[in-house]
Order: sequence, then C-alpha cells, then structure tokens
Amino acid sequence: MKNSATEAIFRKKRERRRQLAKLPFERKIEIVVELQKTAAAIRKDPRRIVWPL
Amino acid sequence: MEKALQVIEEIPRRGVIKAYAIGGGIAATYYIEPVLTYDLDIFFIPAKEGVDVLAPIYEYARERGFSPQAESILIEGFPVQFIPAYNDLIREAVENASLLKYRDVEAKVVTAEYLAAIALQTGRAKDRERVISLLEEADIDRTVFDRILQSFGLAEKFKKLEKQLHEE
Repeated sequence: MKNSATEAIFRKKRERRRQLAKLPFERKIEIVVELQKTAAAIRKDPRRIVWPL
Repeated sequence: MEKALQVIEEIPRRGVIKAYAIGGGIAATYYIEPVLTYDLDIFFIPAKEGVDVLAPIYEYARERGFSPQAESILIEGFPVQFIPAYNDLIREAVENASLLKYRDVEAKVVTAEYLAAIALQTGRAKDRERVISLLEEADIDRTVFDRILQSFGLAEKFKKLEKQLHEE
C-alpha cells in the first residue's frame, strides 16, 4: 500500500528515468563509462575495464 | 567505441558469421536509462553450425591482433562477448535486428520488443527488472511484443510478471 507522498516520489523517479531514456545514445555511453569509473573507485577489479572512449 | 563497432560490423561481411545483433546491457541502454555494464554482448548466427561456433571468431580476432580476455575478446579496448544464438527467440531477434548509430558508425541492435522477450525468457531478477524498464521507458510496440510472446510461449510468464507488479 502506497500513500500519496510515496506515489509522488515514484512518479518523479519514473519521469526521471524516461528523461534519461531519451538522451542521445552517445551521451548514454558516456554515462555508462562514468558509472564504470565510479564502480572502479569503490572496488578495483582488473577484469572490469573502464571503456576507453 | 566506434572502432570496436566497425570491427564487429566487418565480421559478417567477411563471412566469419552469418549475422549479429548487439544485446544485453548496451542494447538496453540504447532504449532505456543507462545501465552499468562492462561487456558489449553480441548475439550471432554462425556461418556454419558445428560444435565450436566461436572458433572462427576467435581466429579472426587473433588475425586482427585482438586478444581474448576471460570470456570476451578485447576489441579496440572494449571487452566483446560473442554469444551464439542459442534458441529460436534469439535467432529471430538477430534476424530482425534494428540499426543503431553511434557517431558515424551504424551497428545492428536487438529491437526493444525482442530484448524484452529475451529478458523475460532469461528470467533472472535483473532481467525481470529490465522487462519492466523497457515497457515503461522504451517505445515498445505492444502488438509486436504480444506476437513474440505468443510465438515463443512466453505469454503466461508475462501475465505472471504483470500480476506481480499490480500486487506491489
């Protein structure tokens, strides 16, 4: 059971995801690389390569 | 990344494989919000059916100076994982691939409808999440998606997923 406050939060999150989905593919790949860099800073794993763009 | 895509695009042209399409996290990222991924997953239809359908790809990669890395091949700095079309759904997805453009390079990508169906069929928690994201964020053609679900016996599985979502 969700109340109106949590529904509003979930709605905003969905809207944000839809906005991100509309980004150009090139920009999305840049974000993937940013995510890889963030993950690498937290936990180093030589099998997981940060892509060279 | 465009250099890696150019190399991949060349592989079927050289007759090493029959056809390919990008799947997995990068295909998902094409349609929905970006997702953390490390491999470029390539579904492919082999040029010849046989026991070791990956061998011609590895041989071609070696000739081009690209080395294997774990279960991938490192192409222009990108780990590329080649996955043979292991069932009829994936084979059809490759045959009906769409085109994506990255800078000046075009490459084949599994359509959102097939990607959702493959995720549904695979069925891990992250795959179910992907189905939901694709339905919410991508422009899924529901007629096409429903036809795929019917053809590959996934309609019931999808109904169950929808039911779970409504109950949450």
